[in-house]
Amino acid sequence: MWRSLSTAAVLALAAGVAVSLRLALVSAQNTPIPQTPGWELVMRCVMCHSVEVAVQQRLGPRGWSDTLDRMIKYGAPIPPEDKEKLLVYLLRHYRDPDGR
Amino acid sequence: MTITRRGFLIVTGAAVGLLRAAGARAQQPPAPVPGKEKLIVRSPRPVNLEARLGDLTVYQTPEELFFVRNNYDAAPIDPAQWSVKIEGEVDNPLVLRLDDLKKLPTLTQDVTLECAGNGRSFHKPRASGIQWENGAVGNAAWKGVRLADVLAPARPRASGRHVAFDGFDKPPTPQAPDFIRSVPMWKALEPHTMVALEMNGKPLPHLHGGPARALVPGFVGSASIKWLERILVLPDEFDGFYMKSNYTAPRADDEKEIYSLQSLEVKSVIVGPAEGARLPAGRTAVWGWAWSGEGELTGIDVSTDGGQSWSPGTFAGRWDRYSWRKWEYEWDAKPGSRTVLARATDSLGRVQPTSRAFNRLGYRWNVIHAVKVDVA
Repeated sequence: MWRSLSTAAVLALAAGVAVSLRLALVSAQNTPIPQTPGWELVMRCVMCHSVEVAVQQRLGPRGWSDTLDRMIKYGAPIPPEDKEKLLVYLLRHYRDPDGR
Repeated sequence: MTITRRGFLIVTGAAVGLLRAAGARAQQPPAPVPGKEKLIVRSPRPVNLEARLGDLTVYQTPEELFFVRNNYDAAPIDPAQWSVKIEGEVDNPLVLRLDDLKKLPTLTQDVTLECAGNGRSFHKPRASGIQWENGAVGNAAWKGVRLADVLAPARPRASGRHVAFDGFDKPPTPQAPDFIRSVPMWKALEPHTMVALEMNGKPLPHLHGGPARALVPGFVGSASIKWLERILVLPDEFDGFYMKSNYTAPRADDEKEIYSLQSLEVKSVIVGPAEGARLPAGRTAVWGWAWSGEGELTGIDVSTDGGQSWSPGTFAGRWDRYSWRKWEYEWDAKPGSRTVLARATDSLGRVQPTSRAFNRLGYRWNVIHAVKVDVA
């Protein structure tokens, strides 16, 4: 299959890389975030708001899950299969142990 | 054109490497906002900035120290191009430009604005939202025109019982809710409620909603919508996210039912001495600011022994109906570790509490402010 990737696929990949890079560089002006699995999904959050809006929060599992559901409802490009990965990332780094 | 597996891995590997490099460079706090360098950047986009309490030393907060709370950002607006629509439950829908507003009688008043979430970071457990400490508050001289005078030529109908404000700040996606809030008609028509055009003697700066914003004294800051685009007269409270979900809390800690926030709480903060200060024994000034939204301040009490005993402080200096007031207390400080507290009361019978029950979005934080100091 690798030999059959089309020009369109390569262009799409290149566009994706460009967008990701631009967003990473935008966020690079700001607060660093730990680069553990799921960190790349935070780059989708910064399409609409700076990374600080997210990483200053300290929430519990329900708080983060509700927040992600609300953001997805409002158009965050996070498909269902990625929500869990992002939730794990946020709870790993930005959890209030007493949080709801 | 095709790409080999090896080529694909090179491309994606390079992309991940560049992403990591970009992240690795990110070892600095957010850049300050021009003109607001002294403020703490809670978020650069949307812009959310708060003052350090120790910088709020004068009655009239200078523009560079005045907090900024944006739910969404707005592009700068050319005052010559700006207009506001007045519509809804009115007999004569209108579009007014800046020159039209400037023909109306003006008023200038000192008003303290405080973000509804000021102090959110002190809630335990932590609540969702911008993690403000004490500095999302400021007091400015606002000049503008009465909202009642702006509404009158539109001839609101008797069915109009609420007034909603919509600004030019728009959400980044079509699915996200517009930032619209309403106030009851009694508040809209109160002579202090205005469309503000100036702040501290200058045309209203963009970050503070220029060229024109609503200014609803005594209510939580979010009522004072910036960059006015539309004023809607409505039969009921506006039925949107920022009225029915955000900016809601129980009226009292033992209640479950929530309401859309209106009045600010009675509140005081200690500016001096600062947390962690080392003071010489003897006479020292304890001072700060107090405010109370729809109530009027009736007293300020100070404790220098962690709340075991309280003594009355005094209010001093300039004030206005909806401004904060400076308070002072002369303390004969004895050596040791001391906890200084301040507690304001108001004409509505409200007293600052010793605790605040968790509420989901971290509002109504007016718990007695405590400052720990060492007296040598």
